[in-house]
Amino acid sequence: MPSLDPATPPISGALSYACGVTEPSTPEQPWPVRVVSQKVGAWIARLGWVWVDGQVAQITRRPGTTTVFLTLRDPSADISLTVTTNRDVLDLGAPNLTDGARVLLHAKPDFYPARGTLSLRADEIRQVGLGELLARLEQLKKLLAAEGLFDPARKRRPPFLPARIGLITGRASAAERDVLTNSRRRWPAVEFRVVNVAVQGPTAVPQMIDALKVLDADASIDVIVIARGGGSTEDLLPFSDEALCRAVFACRTPVVSAVGHETDTPLLDYVADVRASTPTDAAKRLVPDLGEEVRLIREARHRLTRAVRQLVDREQHRLDAVRSRPALARPYLMVDQRQADVAALVERSRRTLGHRLSAADSDLAHTLARLRALSPAATLQRGYAIVQTASGAIVRAPADVAAGDALRLRLADGDLAATVAAS
Amino acid sequence: MTVEELSYEQARAELAGVVERLEAGGITLEESLALWERGEQLAGVCQHWLDGARKRLDAAGTAAKQPPPQP
Repeated sequence: MPSLDPATPPISGALSYACGVTEPSTPEQPWPVRVVSQKVGAWIARLGWVWVDGQVAQITRRPGTTTVFLTLRDPSADISLTVTTNRDVLDLGAPNLTDGARVLLHAKPDFYPARGTLSLRADEIRQVGLGELLARLEQLKKLLAAEGLFDPARKRRPPFLPARIGLITGRASAAERDVLTNSRRRWPAVEFRVVNVAVQGPTAVPQMIDALKVLDADASIDVIVIARGGGSTEDLLPFSDEALCRAVFACRTPVVSAVGHETDTPLLDYVADVRASTPTDAAKRLVPDLGEEVRLIREARHRLTRAVRQLVDREQHRLDAVRSRPALARPYLMVDQRQADVAALVERSRRTLGHRLSAADSDLAHTLARLRALSPAATLQRGYAIVQTASGAIVRAPADVAAGDALRLRLADGDLAATVAAS
Repeated sequence: MTVEELSYEQARAELAGVVERLEAGGITLEESLALWERGEQLAGVCQHWLDGARKRLDAAGTAAKQPPPQP
């Protein structure tokens, strides 16, 4: 029995094989549509039964017929198949099946020649309950953790102030408004590139993965946020999708998850670089608070200036203290002191000189008295005379002079000229 | 090094030394006068530095009061 192995042989060969002997088709001898259709149908009919896991995108119950059509999507990729089944099968295994439900079905590929469409014909459909989905998530969580997708060492820090933020969220959603409004309130100049996607339902995961790729490829984007408001556990299931988790892990740009309420922890929260509890909380983790930053800077600046001012003032005090010391403040003092020294010395010298002078005075009087006592004037007064030659020599004997020599006679009251008559 | 090239700390340290020597005494008048002149110069340099620092602080304070540039 052929399987759904991707390594099936090429179609023309396969078709020839499927339908036995037919001439190969050529431009001269092409096959009619019915032959091709028949051959395709026969080939597909050889494919066996498979168990398929998928998500119901749409259920169409035709009135008046027992056939039910389901559009079965892959939850992680934009790929779907049509499933046909019987109303009884559906009522037996999944009586309350609605759009978005996860199902497990046993089906066989089936070709409908009238329209040339392929569908899966299901003979058993089981709705996968929430409990089992959560159990699967738990398993997936363990697997991803073991692979290191949640490793704290692998997490990157978003920049302090991102140039541009990529936002993945529902169109016109409260989450979008929360992130934008709160971010702008904190940092008015913040720039966003918003990519609106379905945030629940079968198309959510592929759209989010596409958006991630687009934003990750945009070099101007420093951080990406995936935001969604609160919802039921089923609604938030896309945020635990394995393909989404791997896409986030593969992102080179840091990713912030902001899904649901505080208590919701989809797997995206574990694999994201930063987990924000709510979209509002995401704003706090994306951009700094401008007012707060300005206040911090102002405070730092104030302290800075105050510190330097205090330093300058302290130095001014030291300088003032040095300048007010007498050595500097009263420079005349050093002259004045010396002036006083000089005056004192002058005074002393004068006093000393005065003593000396009066002593000398009396000494002089004494000496004068003695001089006078020794003077010949008194002798002359008594009538003696001193005889001197013209040269001034004193004549003591007659032999000292010759006749005709001029003599000078000194008397008490004057001189007298004389001539020697004979000796 | 001329007086203008001295840092505040250098000028202040030298000024303190000059004052100490003046206060200790035991030097000639000529030396005393020279020391005093040096001391006045050094004190002037210190004051110049402090005045400059204040002026710069005042200027920074004025700039800080201007509205911040738009980001």
